[in-house]
Amino acid sequence: MHKRPKGDRPVKEPIRKPWIWVVMAIILLAAIPWYLPGGTVSPIILGMPYWAFISLVFSLSLCAYLSWLCLYEWDVVEEEEERARADAKREE
Amino acid sequence: MQDLTFGGASGIIVLVAYAAVMLLIGYFAGRGQPNVRESVKSYYLAGGGLGFVALFFTLYATQYSGNTVIGYAPTAYRTGFPWLQSIMFMTFIIGAYLVFAPRLYAVAKRESFVTPADWIRHRFRSTAVTLLAVLLMLWGIGNYLLEQLVAIGQGISGLTGDTVPYQLGVILFVVVMLAYAWMGGMRAVALTDVMQGIALLVGVMVLLGGSLYLIGGSLGDATQYLIQNEPEKAQVPPLDVSVNWLSLVLMVGFGAAVYPHAIQRIYAAESERTLKRSLAGMAWMPPITTGLVFVVGIIGISLFPNLGESESEQLVGMIANEVAAINIFFYIMMILLFGGIVAAIVSTADSALLSFSSMISRDLYARHINPDASEARQVLVGKLWGIVAIAVLLVIAWNPPGTLYSIFVLKFELIVQVAPSFILGLYWKRLSSWPVFFGMLVGAMVAGGMTLFGIGTVYGVHGGVIGLALNLAICVVGSLVIPATKEEAARAERSAELSVR
Repeated sequence: MHKRPKGDRPVKEPIRKPWIWVVMAIILLAAIPWYLPGGTVSPIILGMPYWAFISLVFSLSLCAYLSWLCLYEWDVVEEEEERARADAKREE
Repeated sequence: MQDLTFGGASGIIVLVAYAAVMLLIGYFAGRGQPNVRESVKSYYLAGGGLGFVALFFTLYATQYSGNTVIGYAPTAYRTGFPWLQSIMFMTFIIGAYLVFAPRLYAVAKRESFVTPADWIRHRFRSTAVTLLAVLLMLWGIGNYLLEQLVAIGQGISGLTGDTVPYQLGVILFVVVMLAYAWMGGMRAVALTDVMQGIALLVGVMVLLGGSLYLIGGSLGDATQYLIQNEPEKAQVPPLDVSVNWLSLVLMVGFGAAVYPHAIQRIYAAESERTLKRSLAGMAWMPPITTGLVFVVGIIGISLFPNLGESESEQLVGMIANEVAAINIFFYIMMILLFGGIVAAIVSTADSALLSFSSMISRDLYARHINPDASEARQVLVGKLWGIVAIAVLLVIAWNPPGTLYSIFVLKFELIVQVAPSFILGLYWKRLSSWPVFFGMLVGAMVAGGMTLFGIGTVYGVHGGVIGLALNLAICVVGSLVIPATKEEAARAERSAELSVR
């Protein structure tokens, strides 16, 4: 495990957390209609076939999930950078 | 391409206006960074200081091009609801970035990388691996650029009702693109991307609004029409379509994330915080770009039923003609949409060209031809070779070499083969250089060979994915059989340390 050279927040790197990728795989597989009976259309939900609605819901979940991961599960050098930036500002 | 009844003089006015704005942005971007001619990092990466807005839109404009509208609506028309996959594969690009961007960003900042090959050189210390990667990337991105140039010409002749001949249109816009990129480098490219990205987004929304207006405002009606007349486009697709769907998601996701200009955008971010926020925003762009274009394509099925394959390629033009005839507001908006499509193609082309130039000047010229060259000279060489490359590509575009033409379709299949050197190389210290070299070579030959012989997919799996799987297998098995020495592994670990200093 890499530790921060100095700092109090733990490094967060998505590749090191298996659950992140398991959830991603589940969303991907749920969004593709391989598990639904071929050739079916009904019921129609919000003007689209039910399977397309399911697929759309999971596609949007993927957007939300990835967006959330970027913001909250990625923290590698931010602290170091922001501190350097603050130091530079102080010197000015 | 499109026969636009509303094109002509007003189209020319819009294109001239867009071109003028791009040149102005380029001029001011250049003035804002006086050392843009003397510093490689300043010219190719905006000094590694792109802020949130510029980075967000340059990522957007690079990932979405004119083809996202012109090509994807007809695909939705022909495929039906399974084309929902276009939302997913564009979203998954962010998932692929998450695999390697966090660490690559830290390493690139610390080591001051300029080109994608800088990482490969830094990690493997092997001229053979680096050169092969550079050649694959140059070939792929050159063809990608060729595709964009052809599309610019078609867009302009369509929008101006053929009053501007195809060749002249391309040359004029290429000159504009070269001029602003020369003046301001990456900063000019990113700032023009802001304008170009907004133009594309607004255009897509208006196109959707106009299409909904034409069918009386209900997607449900379009779906009912589909179920009655072309049920297979609305039903749960057969299994091979689902396999193909997943294959495309993986291939586009990893492919688009390791495109050279995509990697250079990681380098160009001013900070990790900015990069994270820009990518978090990008994750929401597919529904409001490819998602809306998908709906336009579905509506097109009930507006213009039973089009053949080549006729359906004209779909966006047909719909735009109908929408422009509604009233003056929609007329103006459709002119802006097609101007936006041209701008979007230009914005994709300029990123590719800049990346191409950076690899020529840094990875070939400064590394192997003239190691003592000053940075100013490297920038100049990159610019000049950029012009040579464009000239060659235009000759190819206008005189397609008959039987050899298929080698100019190889883009993605080749570029995606550098993915293991980036992704495995960042995390697995035992990965050694020769397996990477042969993996890349075999992967490129298999994926390229399948494309050349017209074997698109095997059981729904794309050639690029098969080549990549072979490539990965060679990398892993080869590195297990002939492991890296202790020194190499220790160096590999040091090369990927997580610190910016």
